[in-house]
Amino acid sequence: MALTQREIVANDRSKFDFKDEIVYLRETKRGLTRDTVEEISRFKDEPEWMLKFRLRAYDHFLARPMPTWGADLSHIDFDRIVYYRKPSEREEKSWDDVPEQIKATFERLGIPEAERKFLSGVGAQYDSEVVYHSVREELTKIGVVFMGTDQGLKEYPEIFEKYFGTVVPPEDNKFAALNSAVWSGGSFVYVPKGVEVPLPLQAYFRINGENTGQFERTLIVVDEGAKVHYIEGCTAPIYATDSLHAAVVEVIALPGSKVRYTTIQNWSNDVYNLVTKRAHAHENATVEWIDANTGCLTGDTLVARGSDHVPISAIRTGDQVVGLGSDLSLELGRVTATKENRPQAVFEVEAGGRVVRATPNHPFLVRRAQAAPMWLPVASIVPGDLVAIADGSTDFSPVSAMRYAGEQVTYDIEVAGTHNFVANGVFVHNSRVTMKYPSIYLRGRGATADIISVAVAGKGQHQDTGAKAVHLAPDTKSRIVSKSVSKDGGRATYRGQLKVAPGATNVVASVRCDALMLDDQSRSDTYPYIDIQEDDTHMSHEATVGKISQDQVFYLMSRGLTENEAQNLIVQGFLEVFTKELPMEYAIEFNRLVKLEMEGALG
Amino acid sequence: MTERIDLPGLGFATEDLVRSLSRDLEEPDWLLEQRLAALARYAESPIERNRLWTTYVDLRPVRFAEIEPWGGVDSVAAPTADPPPGAAALLHVRDDAVVERALSAEARDAGVFLGTFSEVLRERPDLAGELLAGESPLPADDKFGQLTVALHALGVVVHVPQGVSLAAPIVLRWSVGAAGRGLFARTLVSLGRDAHARILEEQAEAAPADGAQRLYAGTTEVRLGDGATLDLAAEQDFGPGTVSFLNRAASVGRDATLRWALASVGGDLVKSRIDNDLVGRGASVQQVEIGFGGGSQLFDLSSYTRHLAPDTTGDLLSKGVFQDRARGYMKGLIAIDRLATGTDSFLGEFGMLLSRKARSVTIPSLEIDQPDVRRAAHSSSVGPIDEGQVFYAMSRGLPRDVARKHIVLGFLEPVVARIPLPEAQERLRALLDRKWDAGREAGPAASAA
Repeated sequence: MALTQREIVANDRSKFDFKDEIVYLRETKRGLTRDTVEEISRFKDEPEWMLKFRLRAYDHFLARPMPTWGADLSHIDFDRIVYYRKPSEREEKSWDDVPEQIKATFERLGIPEAERKFLSGVGAQYDSEVVYHSVREELTKIGVVFMGTDQGLKEYPEIFEKYFGTVVPPEDNKFAALNSAVWSGGSFVYVPKGVEVPLPLQAYFRINGENTGQFERTLIVVDEGAKVHYIEGCTAPIYATDSLHAAVVEVIALPGSKVRYTTIQNWSNDVYNLVTKRAHAHENATVEWIDANTGCLTGDTLVARGSDHVPISAIRTGDQVVGLGSDLSLELGRVTATKENRPQAVFEVEAGGRVVRATPNHPFLVRRAQAAPMWLPVASIVPGDLVAIADGSTDFSPVSAMRYAGEQVTYDIEVAGTHNFVANGVFVHNSRVTMKYPSIYLRGRGATADIISVAVAGKGQHQDTGAKAVHLAPDTKSRIVSKSVSKDGGRATYRGQLKVAPGATNVVASVRCDALMLDDQSRSDTYPYIDIQEDDTHMSHEATVGKISQDQVFYLMSRGLTENEAQNLIVQGFLEVFTKELPMEYAIEFNRLVKLEMEGALG
Repeated sequence: MTERIDLPGLGFATEDLVRSLSRDLEEPDWLLEQRLAALARYAESPIERNRLWTTYVDLRPVRFAEIEPWGGVDSVAAPTADPPPGAAALLHVRDDAVVERALSAEARDAGVFLGTFSEVLRERPDLAGELLAGESPLPADDKFGQLTVALHALGVVVHVPQGVSLAAPIVLRWSVGAAGRGLFARTLVSLGRDAHARILEEQAEAAPADGAQRLYAGTTEVRLGDGATLDLAAEQDFGPGTVSFLNRAASVGRDATLRWALASVGGDLVKSRIDNDLVGRGASVQQVEIGFGGGSQLFDLSSYTRHLAPDTTGDLLSKGVFQDRARGYMKGLIAIDRLATGTDSFLGEFGMLLSRKARSVTIPSLEIDQPDVRRAAHSSSVGPIDEGQVFYAMSRGLPRDVARKHIVLGFLEPVVARIPLPEAQERLRALLDRKWDAGREAGPAASAA
């Protein structure tokens, strides 16, 4: 079921606010009892050890007090939550076999297109069960496993018995215990020795039912010398009552492997997002968490990117504006919605015989000297930079000229484009409370950890996020970069831990936290714990908090930008450390959403 | 009724003791009430109010049960006119007596007051009303500060009147270390509008390593009037077996400046907390603090700086060097109130670990409610001695160990350089020097053990 261009525009504001009327095949009663746990295990026909694991976790959940630090969790009512809902009888192998209504939801989220176009495999979770899963055939052939965790437990019991619950034991914290007791769904990934998965694996999670708790459990085992990038995206419809998302993600990076895990979170305003994510990095392994606690980039990105559904022929001037490979088309799609008609400053970038016009904050893929390509806004591009502008290729051409083209209605594409996104209301509707501290335990000599965390806290939100790096082995390295933006009374808290245990000699570690506050109603806190127990550690930490510099705004305005554009550009620059780590289609959307958010920010 | 939380093994914090101290010192009822209120706050406060710090410092090794607190200090030396060379005034406390007191003619003529609470109550009702009866800058929810207020056996007041500038420092010397005894003391410092003064606190005693437990709990409660400037330096070199709880709190007025330079070297366990309340527009605090730990010493150095008014400045630096099995906790919080626009604050916590068993914990935190800041930043690093610097020094002819020593002492020098009296400065240098040497001697033995 494809949405037409018109429908996308028409549905703008409510695109992600719909609630499907689904008759669930099975669901547990509200509230959590020992019976609920046993019932879930019985539904799933699990091995005995898993039931025991669940019950052990359940006991711990009851015994464990609520955390008294961090965000306010006092409004969570465990008795109102439905812990298990099953919408479909089995996990489907082919998209066509997925029930129509669920399919429609995911079509709206753009998942099949995502799979076809960019990704190695996609898993979609609808409430408690994974409804659809596929991996590109060639990956299956070389032994890459990407399936629902329940199915994984059935098909790969030996891997589960060896690794499940070893990285995040149920006793770790109250919400890990809850997840361990009632977990359902999630992704299981296994990458065999020496296999490099060339494109990202991607999963979506979606809470549909009101008061549904979602407790997915993801287990990623990357064998020696293997390499994988896993992307997780989320979205939730808006409800008046509170939903709880308490996921557990366990990553095991075996010697010499490389794992990158990217999260782009967007739960609606009601959701308590309490996630335990942890990786074990063994000898010479590298683990990277790229964690964004902001708007949803995935759903809307992909919907809007559905070039199949958006007739390019209907667009007049768009192709002048973007010119970035296959993604070009979706940008053009948005230009048609020029009804907004807001004049904006536009720059012309001339490169490789083409002229591309774009607003100053529009990101281009730029290569400078020998550095890796990075996303830079037009305003940062200078003649001589190499930019990628050719359709369908990543050829770089030097910029021969840059011109300010004045405020032009014609090039209103940012507004037009973003308006499609404004529509989805995604950026505005982040979760109410997020407590998430992706952590990496460096267990083997020479392991490397890299964590990039971005949080945007808007109205009514508390993003209590951060990162943990625990050095348990010699010659290990870690880097934590945290960027937060708070606005409209939102509160962004960085809470982190860096620990160098006895025996972990020759460690190099750094922590950088930067916070930007956009108004004086908002709040920013920074709480880093740094515990060093080896004398040859080299640790450095820096943090800054500030508002947008009026000097910078003034400067940019003197160059012809509006105040909004100037602020937006500065925020994008601030978040660039994150943006440049994203696959390019995400980077574009991310910047777009930031801009969108900024437009709402200023009167 | 809130549950009473005592420090582990501490049984003497009772109403009876509070009443008997107050009686011994012939205090007015309102002072007794103040003590009892503090006792109640002590009893109901957790060991650490700040949830960020809770798990860190274990006080169980402190044998409170073996401590007998001193009763009210009634032996107070009359002031002479001969402070030590270079000093404007001296007050020397040894255990439960003020053994020496001196005030230069210049200071006396300018109206500087240096005396005990009893004397203030008798001789200066104006100051008593303002300082003793007025609200203390000590945080009401800090267990240790409140314990000291409840149980103080001695109160000292230093007052420099409006407009008076004293170039020479006022020396407050605390020689405490009697086996099995604990001294609780309060010091109130007040500078009138546009007054300028320097204070040197010397906390030391050569106690023998006899296994006995000793305790010193002291407050320094500072009020700076508008435009006042205070340099407050401290050298702490308590003997073995000494546990100290040091609460320093300041309320800094409009355009006033407070500069702390604090060095911790001695004692088994030092729990220090500094509270800087920048209450007047343009108030400023500069704080440099060092800890040099060896053996199994534990330094817990916390600092809270609250920007409560616009255009306030906080520049806070802590440095720790830890050898043998020493542990250091440098915990700092900068809070910027919504009303405080245009602030500038920096918090730096830097550690140097000289042995594999040493440990450094740094928690530099920020709580920001007002984004209109000129700067709000913190920085922290922990590392060994920079081998590049060692190499450079060796290339200039220094033996390796001497090179290392110079680098460590250089790391701590910023505080040493701010100690006001040249002799005191030299004494601290020598102290750090000896500490380094002791670490070298203890080093191999400690690792063998």
